[in-house]
Amino acid sequence: MRTNLKISNVTKIYPGCIANKNVSLEFESGKIYALLGENGAGKSTLVKILSGVIMPDEGQIFLNNKALKLNSPIDAKKNNIGMVFQHFNLFETLSVFENLIIDSNETRENLRKKIKSIMEKYNFSIDLDIPVLNLSAGQKQKVEIIRCLIRSPEVLIMDEPTSVLTEQETIELFSSLKKFSEEGILIIYITHKLKEVMSLCDEVAVMRKGELVSISKIIDEKIETLANKMVGQNLKTIKKKKLSKVSSDQLIKITNLNFKSEDPFETNLEEINFTVNRGECLGIAGISGNGQSELFQVLSGEIISDKKSIEFNKNFIGDKNPQERREYLMAFSPEDRLEQAAVPQMKIFENVALNNFKSSNFFKNGLINENKIKQHAKKIISDFNVNTNNIELKSQFLSGGNLQKLIIGRELITSPDLLICFNPTWGLDVGAINYIHETLIKINEQNKSIILISTDTDELLKLSDKISVIYKGKLSKKMNADEVTSEKLGILMGGGEFD
Amino acid sequence: MNLIKIIKRDQPSRTIFFLTPVLAIFLTLVAGGLIFYILGFKPFEALKFFFIVPIADMYGFSELLLKATPLCLIAIGLSFCFKSNNWNIGAEGQLTFGAIVSGGVALLFYNQEGFYILPIVILAGAIGGMLYASIPAILKTYFNTNEILVSLMLVYVSKLILDYLVVGPWSNPEGFNFPETRQFSDSARLPLLAEGLRIHAGIFLALAAVVISWFIFYKTYLGFQMKVSGFSLKTAKYAGYKGKKMIILVFLISGACAGLAGVGEITGPIGQLHREVSPDYGFTAIIVAFLGRLNPVGIIFASLVVAITYLGAETAQIFMQIPKYTGQVFQGMILFFLLASDYLLFFKIKFIGSKK
Repeated sequence: MRTNLKISNVTKIYPGCIANKNVSLEFESGKIYALLGENGAGKSTLVKILSGVIMPDEGQIFLNNKALKLNSPIDAKKNNIGMVFQHFNLFETLSVFENLIIDSNETRENLRKKIKSIMEKYNFSIDLDIPVLNLSAGQKQKVEIIRCLIRSPEVLIMDEPTSVLTEQETIELFSSLKKFSEEGILIIYITHKLKEVMSLCDEVAVMRKGELVSISKIIDEKIETLANKMVGQNLKTIKKKKLSKVSSDQLIKITNLNFKSEDPFETNLEEINFTVNRGECLGIAGISGNGQSELFQVLSGEIISDKKSIEFNKNFIGDKNPQERREYLMAFSPEDRLEQAAVPQMKIFENVALNNFKSSNFFKNGLINENKIKQHAKKIISDFNVNTNNIELKSQFLSGGNLQKLIIGRELITSPDLLICFNPTWGLDVGAINYIHETLIKINEQNKSIILISTDTDELLKLSDKISVIYKGKLSKKMNADEVTSEKLGILMGGGEFD
Repeated sequence: MNLIKIIKRDQPSRTIFFLTPVLAIFLTLVAGGLIFYILGFKPFEALKFFFIVPIADMYGFSELLLKATPLCLIAIGLSFCFKSNNWNIGAEGQLTFGAIVSGGVALLFYNQEGFYILPIVILAGAIGGMLYASIPAILKTYFNTNEILVSLMLVYVSKLILDYLVVGPWSNPEGFNFPETRQFSDSARLPLLAEGLRIHAGIFLALAAVVISWFIFYKTYLGFQMKVSGFSLKTAKYAGYKGKKMIILVFLISGACAGLAGVGEITGPIGQLHREVSPDYGFTAIIVAFLGRLNPVGIIFASLVVAITYLGAETAQIFMQIPKYTGQVFQGMILFFLLASDYLLFFKIKFIGSKK
């Protein structure tokens, strides 16, 4: 019997954002389907609905023409929908077998037999009795897959499965997935990697900003056409007016910068090399999780690197911490406003004191100089249009836009030569976005430089003079922003290449 | 039929923040009364024996201050750690080690008198506590170990060292093999505040710690950095604070306070080293620190409240034949109810009329 899974008019609205808008899709067993889209396109929401983690506001799911009510992940399991998440749900200190028996009703002997037969059939070799923490990422994923297979699923959903795998492990995974598909398991493969879609899948559904953009057969598609659909086409019209006077005066030079992380969910940076001139805005594009956060931390000094790897204004500063780098006139606006760039439980003026540059005199002889800080806070509020007049207010009461203005203002008050920002308009409303964009353009006009790390392609094309793409911790060559098309960017962001 | 609805607060309530400790104490009294009732006592009478009789006279009140002194001092030190996201729970060990070092120094002068002796003894205690606190701090900063485990385990190590010293090399040669050292000379003892009472000058150390810590917390760059680190280590890193230095510093301060509390015990009421230098003041002070909301003034009140449980337990043992460990039950209940009522910081409970 063929499995048929139907998503009918599913809508899911979060406060301030439509995650899924009227999405309808139909899947049949025997094929591998790709669900493709950028961050925030709505893929994850859709998958969470399918696996019972969240419930849709509207719409229904049908499996073999029977309407499903998925109130929890258990319901999904009961209805033979298996799901392998990007982050593993395994107990590291328990053995593989103990992990598998946790949510199984079978006796130990039966389960062991069943697992053995599954492993033989698909050529998995994992020692069932060693703790999970001794497994590689690829093996852990296999444990998750076995957990699904024990229940002989009709549908298997894989969420960004290759993000933690090596090349070899990816090849193995693909051959397993193809086998599952031949045996009649319906496979839905969520990714933003175009190459993988082309080599693995039979059909592809592209999502953008919560909506389904297209459904097509892979044989009718090329990497370029998919990239275009994923990123969106009509972007070129809103580029920033090119500044004529980008100087050739080099401000920052990154040479052979490497970062190796011990955390498997972080990305290693490999041989990063780039330069930024005075008055230039370098955009760094990429799909999140490809090393942007690590790159930001290395540039800001939260992660210390080799002294000579960063040359700023003719000083080697790779070994300096963020506070010291600020003295060289660098400034930083991190991605996470509430957890990193500001402390929401502290007052506005206290947040201003987080940028404690020497000439500020915020802290004199180790004592807090509250008047000085308050004076600065007032100036930032009026200069940067923060919509409040009470600097004693806790910053959690500021809207995202106002908080971001406060942060950018705090960073710019020293008139730094270089501002490094990471997703500066993430989650903001249109008005605030425009204000931040205008501010950034103004900085460039004053012959100051910007490194803009962003996952928003519109923003990058609008503000950048030069653009590089980061993919799996490697940075592409710098391209002139006016020569870049969204198509080209999409290919590079998805790990493709072009001449 | 939803009679009660729980709603998430937009922001933690400031009033509730200071009210929950009071609520926790109230609930502890109710639950304590219930326990007494189950044990066959009249609840109100038992609570009176526990909380009022012990401090009804001057001597009782001075004993209260005596017990509150080490609790306050240690809790002040701990709040440096807790405020900055460092979980030092080994104050008991730091106290013990401080007592060992200062006791050792005091023994060197056992047959001498002189004004210089006491300052040296006090200083030795602070240094001993700092040395002992530096172990979890250094292991945390350089080897990424968990400070909770290390500081806790070291408590037992210090108690064993003390045990070894008082039965072995340091035991009183004229002491008939009792596990205790010689008596310290008078010059090594903290002066008493009044004749006939045990309360000693250590209370001034505690009060000084309150004032100094208040100043550091709210008026200095160090206090600001601790506050930021307490809210978010990511922000502290981004601001460029020297995290390792701060970890070591707060552990040293906390160790010094615990060490001083140890000095207060052995040079105050005890006057020599023996096996039991502290009835778990170092652990109880954790409760005091949180009951006082890590606020120096709050800690004064909290240390007084918790000190009553020590006295009450003794009175109850004498008059009601209840084991004195009831005191620990009360301390446990205070912490339990405090943590439970912290729920109200983030959620409010709304009563709605019954729906038929």
